[in-house]
Amino acid sequence: MASTLPLWILVITALALTAWRSRRYAFALANAPAAARFDRPMLRLQGVMVAIGMHRKMLRKPLSGVLHAIIFISFFVLFTATIDAFGSRLFPGFSLAPIGGETWIAALQDIFSVLMLVGVGLALYQRYVLRPARFDGSSGSDAAIIYVLIVLIVASLLLEAAARIAGGADGSWRPVASALAGLLDRAGIPAHQGEELFYWAHVGAILAFLVYIPGSKHRHMFLAAPNIYFRSLEPRGLAPAVPEAREAPGIDSLGQFDWKQQLDLLSCTECGRCQAVCPAYAAGLPLSPKLLITDMRDALAAGPSAAPLVGGVISEETLWACTTCRACMEACPVEIEHLPKIIDMRRHLVDEGRVSPGLQEALSNLTRLGNSMGKPSKMRARWTRELGFPVKDAREEPVDVLWFVGDYASYDPRVQEITRKVAELLTAAGVDFGILFDAERNSGNDVRRAGEEGLFETLAQSNIDEIKACSFNRIMTTDPHSLNALKNDYQHFGATFEVLHYTALLAELIAAGKLDLHVADGARVTYHDPCYLGRYNGGFDAPRELIRAAGYTLHDMPRCRENSFCCGAGGGRIWQGDDGVTERPSENRIREALSLGDVAYFVVACPKDKVMYTAAIDALGVADRLKAVDIAELLVPLTSQALEIPTVETT
Amino acid sequence: MNILVVLRMIPDSAGELQLAEDGRSIDREWLDFQLNDFDDHALEEAILLKEAGGAKVTAVAVGEGTNRVLQMAAARGADEVVALQAEEDAMISSREIAASIAAMARAKSADLVLCGVQSSEDVFGQLAPYVGALLDWPHVSGTNRIVANGAVLRVTQERGAGVAVTYELATPAVLGVQTASKAPRYVSGSKLREASKTPIGRAAPESSGFERSAEIITLRLPVQGGSGENLGGDAETVADRLVSILAAKGLARN
Ligand code: SF4
Ligand code: SF4
Repeated sequence: MASTLPLWILVITALALTAWRSRRYAFALANAPAAARFDRPMLRLQGVMVAIGMHRKMLRKPLSGVLHAIIFISFFVLFTATIDAFGSRLFPGFSLAPIGGETWIAALQDIFSVLMLVGVGLALYQRYVLRPARFDGSSGSDAAIIYVLIVLIVASLLLEAAARIAGGADGSWRPVASALAGLLDRAGIPAHQGEELFYWAHVGAILAFLVYIPGSKHRHMFLAAPNIYFRSLEPRGLAPAVPEAREAPGIDSLGQFDWKQQLDLLSCTECGRCQAVCPAYAAGLPLSPKLLITDMRDALAAGPSAAPLVGGVISEETLWACTTCRACMEACPVEIEHLPKIIDMRRHLVDEGRVSPGLQEALSNLTRLGNSMGKPSKMRARWTRELGFPVKDAREEPVDVLWFVGDYASYDPRVQEITRKVAELLTAAGVDFGILFDAERNSGNDVRRAGEEGLFETLAQSNIDEIKACSFNRIMTTDPHSLNALKNDYQHFGATFEVLHYTALLAELIAAGKLDLHVADGARVTYHDPCYLGRYNGGFDAPRELIRAAGYTLHDMPRCRENSFCCGAGGGRIWQGDDGVTERPSENRIREALSLGDVAYFVVACPKDKVMYTAAIDALGVADRLKAVDIAELLVPLTSQALEIPTVETT
Repeated sequence: MNILVVLRMIPDSAGELQLAEDGRSIDREWLDFQLNDFDDHALEEAILLKEAGGAKVTAVAVGEGTNRVLQMAAARGADEVVALQAEEDAMISSREIAASIAAMARAKSADLVLCGVQSSEDVFGQLAPYVGALLDWPHVSGTNRIVANGAVLRVTQERGAGVAVTYELATPAVLGVQTASKAPRYVSGSKLREASKTPIGRAAPESSGFERSAEIITLRLPVQGGSGENLGGDAETVADRLVSILAAKGLARN
């Protein structure tokens, strides 16, 4: 056929252009440090199936999920048309007809062409009419160009078939194209020339699409699946260790990121789901997890430049704004890992001593005294003095449960009361427990996430040594942050402890009938899932069981469980100032609870939360409508006075 | 330039202070010790001088827990670190240690001795003047900026109300640092861990040579005041409580 040679030239040119446009990325990936992401292929494949085959995360936003699914399936069906279009002329004689190319495949192509247009129509409606805020900062022109190319491809495909039918071909399997054939006829377009014109328009649009992709977010068509396949299979709560091959603890140039971290940058779809759930972004801080990724991606695409990565491409304020709540990673449909990047860049800042005064003070206190408040270790167990009974020293005698109390629960006078409640509950249930007294140090969870790896190691090692010298069966923590460090991060030192949050232990005791409680009359309360208990460690149910067991009715907020909204204190944020915050995440959250209209208690299960949310309630002036209570305060043993529940006006 | 910086360990003020049995000193057994804040600034100023024009910085620490602080000094850039032995469980008296510091300044051929302007155990800020006098070197205290230009120093001293004076003096000299030109930097845990291998020198104390001129006869801890009362969260309750407290104290009619 006369068109074979021109088509070959066109295809080869397009492929060459595409390769040329991808060269920087390919080069960057080829030169990136290694990452161990090749283990457990079946598990990896399974994740890809669920993520792509079932659109699991995509469908959390129903309109987006459905329209994407339509476009996605249509793409695969229409790919047969692409094979046909190129195959038939590149390799004369090639045809899909023997396997149904002119019958059922033709019918599918015909129908899915229309569906594809419907999908694109919905996308246009979403992007230009609904305009969700998560698209803020995404490239509008990139999306528009892609829409135009898809419409061109599909329209030319339909019209080519229509022209063929107008020229006498059988149209019985192509109802839509047949209808269009009538239109062409009436418009007086000659069938044969029309078919050629639309054919070249079709292949031209496809090749343009191909050439366009390397510079577009639509790279995700090729990279989403590998990016999901090579996702991290480590426990969610384990922050990546500093690779031994790396000279300094942190990262200050893109090339130091391993290939998976770089692949992440290339895979971003700019969907903004991460931005929509980010508490730092909502607070008006200069951090959008989406822009974090796309800014680094653009820097990667631009090639080596004079601007430094840390403090240049990504500003210091951006890095310090993150609460490490992990909501972005939970939301990302292509499994991009924002946090490891943020932590690695923070490690660089810390190593250079570039920390804010607040953080410097906290870290210096932690270095010197093992707690962020600057209190002497000897005062750590001070809270036990006001208990009516002695607490065992786990260093001196064997205990069943070793209670790792944590800084806030130990030192903060506002939280000590709750710590004592927990001690009373354990005693009421007959639990044999002890603490480490002045030998306990901050667990290092947030120290590590603030990028202070060296100090984290010092703290962790000290705790591990102390814990290993004790005789116990299980560890219980008050603080979800300590829970996470002890359970996950300490694995880096080969320490694998059985660690429970106090809510889990209490739920177990109640289920075993060891704790008899006053039962309230079903008053409605809401519950805030702490990031490091819920999203990080899956502790969603025990707190809810406790609320139920104490006789309360749980009215969950819209953002609950995996989608819980961070209080804003994590990852070292609690040690930083509020500069630039337009709405504190904790106040945003209290407004959400108030909007439920019928809850008297805002129940928390993290010592920091009691402090954060009480402050937020006071700041909003709603102390008469809502009270932050720790879950331990709801649980009142029958031997004590029952809790009085404030009446709430239902709004 | 050779710079000698003095680092004194003082009782952590956040700790619970208790009097010793004789009532004339603090019971130091259960105390945490920390680096005197002004000395921290002196160290920073020394490192800044080193970074600006090159210098060899020797840090000499005295008191309890000096190893940790000397490692920190090494991590921040001190070239040599020395622990000066001192009487255990005793206050660090400037009169007592001045001779040792002076001797060390000579031994290290120091051109400049820096120490904090004062410490909680030397509120008169006597260390710099003593050392200056013993060495017969010029001395300025209360500095908040030191610039070295060869052997000439420009030293700025804060006089309050925004007034600052700048002296020019030639080394050798002794300076009591109020604040460093820049806030003391943070040293990361990984740098500290590296510095933990730094060898720490030991120095024996020199006898002070001073006659005792005065001694502490009594020490008193602050009296615990009554604790505050939380008046509640919303304006109405607070107002009610305030009115009734004022009335109870006879300051207002109810
Ligand atoms: S971890 Fe949380 S705060 Fe940090 S970027 Fe992600 S969503 Fe934002
Ligand atoms: S990082 Fe993930 S969630 Fe965020 S915009 Fe990119 S693809 Fe979407």
